[in-house]
Amino acid sequence: MFTELNSILNTSPDSFTQGDFILVSGRQSDASFLIHHFLSFYLRARCKVCFLGLVQSFSHYSAVCQRLGVSLAQAKEKRQLVFLEGLQEGLSVFIPQDDTTGNKALSFLRDPMVGLQNLYEFVRSSVSSPGGGEEGSDGSEQWGPPVLLVDDLSVLLSLGVSARAVLDFSHYCRASLCSQLQGNVVMLLHCEEEEEEDDGDDEGSERLLKGLIHQCCLALHVQGLPTGYCRDIHGQVEVCWRRRQGDGQHTQNKVFQYKVHDKGASFFARGTSSAVL
Amino acid sequence: MLSELLQGTDTGGFLIVQDNISHSGRPLLKSFISAALNRDEDVHVLAFEASEEELKDGLQGLPCQRLHIHNAYIDPLGWTAHPAFTVQQFCFEELTQLAKQTSQPKPATLVIDSLSWILRHLNPPHVCKTLQQLRKGGAVRAIIGLLHADMHQRGTVGSICHLATSVIAVSPGMKADEAVAKTTKRAKSGKVTQDEEIFRINEDLTVVVLNKTSHPGPKQTDQEEPEMDPTANLTFNLRLSDTEREAKEKLALPFVFSKEKKMALLQSGPGSGRILYEPDANDDYDQEDPDDDLDV
Repeated sequence: MFTELNSILNTSPDSFTQGDFILVSGRQSDASFLIHHFLSFYLRARCKVCFLGLVQSFSHYSAVCQRLGVSLAQAKEKRQLVFLEGLQEGLSVFIPQDDTTGNKALSFLRDPMVGLQNLYEFVRSSVSSPGGGEEGSDGSEQWGPPVLLVDDLSVLLSLGVSARAVLDFSHYCRASLCSQLQGNVVMLLHCEEEEEEDDGDDEGSERLLKGLIHQCCLALHVQGLPTGYCRDIHGQVEVCWRRRQGDGQHTQNKVFQYKVHDKGASFFARGTSSAVL
Repeated sequence: MLSELLQGTDTGGFLIVQDNISHSGRPLLKSFISAALNRDEDVHVLAFEASEEELKDGLQGLPCQRLHIHNAYIDPLGWTAHPAFTVQQFCFEELTQLAKQTSQPKPATLVIDSLSWILRHLNPPHVCKTLQQLRKGGAVRAIIGLLHADMHQRGTVGSICHLATSVIAVSPGMKADEAVAKTTKRAKSGKVTQDEEIFRINEDLTVVVLNKTSHPGPKQTDQEEPEMDPTANLTFNLRLSDTEREAKEKLALPFVFSKEKKMALLQSGPGSGRILYEPDANDDYDQEDPDDDLDV
């Protein structure tokens, strides 16, 4: 959890707005450090987290979160965290062991045209199952509002799922988790370099990005520096609020530069990096 | 023009609020809903993209018994056993039945949030046909739709907007709570009027139109300011003194012929050689000047 980012977004694990759909997009840079932030943030906030980790293995996320002070293995044991390990489960869809057909959630791997309804059903069932362990006579541990984290949606596009199906999936997640269950959804999307206006491309990642921006209430756009690689500044983050804030005022978009450390990331206004000042 | 449209005086109209990722058109759509409710009209909303709570937010003070929100947000594709309203129900027959559900003798206003959602799942010709049938059908008085212009191909956006009697394209304004509305209105006579206004939406969803033409204004002064003198701040001299400027203006350019110059060139001066030509029997001597048709 990055404390500076919390103050920028005006949230903390003790008080955060519920019913938010947060989009994290990375263009030509790795925005996954923000997913680690949100994962540790919501685990600390004692929410019931469903994490679709399609890009890395469980041990990778576990190792990173350990450095941020959160143990994923423990959270999984306590049933606070439901983790879908895409890489391993995907393999079992293609190479079924012991007559099992593999996780139904990833059935779109066999036929991408089917869409992501099964994946949505998986998410829905993981967040509405009773939280907490069965041991303990005083009942199961109650967890807070449900949270869905997806890393990342562009993997679904490259697996053959259409942008329309991904938008339907994000719509359904938003409708059930944000509106019905008052939870939050954070999705990561990796974009390629911005092409010229691609009029005929209904299925590209640009259309998906635009559709998700229309759906979200907070968008964090991560980009590398336009001038190239820098050792002290890893890139910039643009924070765009799309909904009116509680007090009715429109918030201006803000741009920050960031640097990722071993145990966190620091955010600062443009030009105020400690290496520069 | 925005205020006129908000008053909703023309029936049989189809209004489109066009937005993009930089500015959402939903608040303006809600202002139209609020204006219709204030006129005691029945309003049917097909809510695909926003939840019922989000749409009702801000409409609390108004007579809400005339507002019917059809919840297509929770399950628009029929993934559960009992969907409230699916995208497949977007056809003329179903919508006419929906609109006739209200007991009011006056036809209702249909608000669609959003047309982009429907266009993602139904093909554009079907959507256009349904909209046109609804307009002519008489079950609804007016249709207002929200369209995300950057979510579709230009052709699709153009086709839908072609059906509309008015299109309002919103974009962000100079200040955070202001927006710019470019309105195009097609009258029944065929006349097209356009307007550009800056507006702000208050908490109670009333629209305040601010200074109309101030938007193109700043653009002009911005263009004038940066026009500096390019001959200033140089290490060499590019300026002309007065005598130099006079001489420059007097200079005759080599291929621009004035009458005097033409005569001087064509007539040989004194002392220059003369050419005596006596044509042979085989020569084709044409007295005409072959250069006569040149516009010199």
